[in-house]
Amino acid sequence: MNETPAILVENLVKRYPVIGGFRELLRHPLKRPTRTALDGVSLRVEPGLSFCLLGPNGAGKTTLIKVLTTLVLPDGGRVFVNGHDAEKSPAAVRKVIGFAINDERSFYWRLSGRQNLEFFGALNGLRGSQLAEKIAAVLRITGLESAADLRFNAYSTGMRQMLAFARALLTDAEILFVDEPTRSLDPQAAAKIRKFLRDELVGVRRKTVFWATHDLAEAGEFGHEIAVIDRGRIRVRGQVNALTSGGRIPLKAIYEKALADSWASDRPGDVAA
Amino acid sequence: MNGQAMNGGIRKLRLFLAKLLAFLRRDFREALTYKFSFLYSLVGVFFSTATFFFVAKLVPSGTPSLGPFGGDYFSFAVVGVAFSSLLGIFQEGLPAVIRSAQTSGTLEALLVTQTSVPTVLLGSSLYSLAFQSFRTVLHLVLAMAVFGLKLGQVNWPGVLSVFLMTSVCFLSLGILSASFILVYKMGNPLSWFIGSMSGLLGGMVFPVAILPAWIRWVSYLLPVTYSLNGMRRSLLASAGFSAILPDIAALAAFNAVLLPLGLLAFRAAIRKAKKDGTLTHY
Repeated sequence: MNETPAILVENLVKRYPVIGGFRELLRHPLKRPTRTALDGVSLRVEPGLSFCLLGPNGAGKTTLIKVLTTLVLPDGGRVFVNGHDAEKSPAAVRKVIGFAINDERSFYWRLSGRQNLEFFGALNGLRGSQLAEKIAAVLRITGLESAADLRFNAYSTGMRQMLAFARALLTDAEILFVDEPTRSLDPQAAAKIRKFLRDELVGVRRKTVFWATHDLAEAGEFGHEIAVIDRGRIRVRGQVNALTSGGRIPLKAIYEKALADSWASDRPGDVAA
Repeated sequence: MNGQAMNGGIRKLRLFLAKLLAFLRRDFREALTYKFSFLYSLVGVFFSTATFFFVAKLVPSGTPSLGPFGGDYFSFAVVGVAFSSLLGIFQEGLPAVIRSAQTSGTLEALLVTQTSVPTVLLGSSLYSLAFQSFRTVLHLVLAMAVFGLKLGQVNWPGVLSVFLMTSVCFLSLGILSASFILVYKMGNPLSWFIGSMSGLLGGMVFPVAILPAWIRWVSYLLPVTYSLNGMRRSLLASAGFSAILPDIAALAAFNAVLLPLGLLAFRAAIRKAKKDGTLTHY
């Protein structure tokens, strides 16, 4: 437990400005209403674990991942990834992370899958034979070998999702972030990815995987530890085994109770001036 | 220790160049998939040059205001148009890159890699800079080979100096514009203002000297005036280095203000976009 945590989040707050109309701007030119996306989130994820962040749509999962991957700056609190301060040393953080971005628009559609991987691999410092070997390996893992030289715009939605995984795996990162990664995959492909991440990446290579999902079954199957987030706050967290008393309590019951407690809590409205 | 530091430096430089090459390769591969557009942009050079060749027949040789630039309107216009297009890409390239990455959705994927934001920007605009440079050279070669453009005794150190100073200046303007696009997404008043003013008052297709005195002073607030003046005098009028020194000094003064201002603005814009969570909005 004295090891540097893979992820350490302390009292993280993130508010987004709410874009109002012209009337609002004229009435209160100096006030900027905000919407609270993360409200005092604290987390510690040990290295070599599969961690599942579970929550409904709009709970704050993507915002938390974006803060952890240095794409969004926090408004309060502190965030460390592999010991690096995400706000002060974003470049150091990006050296140890991979992020399977769940947006097919994040690729170049007129290039092939392989050409996309070559480009993003080069931006991550891979070159020559090392890059070629890595690409061959991630194509094998994701089953895209035969489609590697097709243009990305000819890929099916599932293949695009797989290519996002392939891109995130290129750098052999210490910590892999995945945001609802299997929503476009068929059950077999989703199971294959979960198995690879859990058994190979976490089990054998001792990497950390931070997985955001709203799929209970997936969280139960994948996560050593889970945290339930709702309306910007962590509602429940712990080891899956401990939370479910070794499987005697269904994860669904824990999740539903967490959400019910969240709505019964005293948190006022979502938008603050 | 010095050897180690040097090896580290060389390794970093090679990595940096490899990344720039990756951007170039990406954009070249994409451009090749738009074959017609690729060819059209090259053929367009011929039509533009031919148009000025015939317009030049209306302007008598030896017009006094063309005297400092060799006296021939065709040469004056071809150099002005060719270099203005190039400067436009220097200025517009970066904001266009940001806008394109925002709308196509690739900005987030680029910014989460182990490549710094300045390298992403430089790399992303490299292809358009290289392609436009090629078009500029093609413009001049075509004008010489087909339409009889005659250069003077070219002052190559002068051409190079003006080009370098101008590049820094217009890239700085580009960084300022890119900062605006990062925060406000669309509508770039700086590009619009500089672009419109440069076209009208910067001496692109007619000499600044023919402007009425009451507006001519605005020309001297525009960097393009000094760039085109220095470039034409070096290429067409056999001017020595000392003759174009005032133009180089003016550009250096612009650079001293615009470059730090651009870098500061860009840093602030990135921070604001990350703070507001709008880095990838469009």
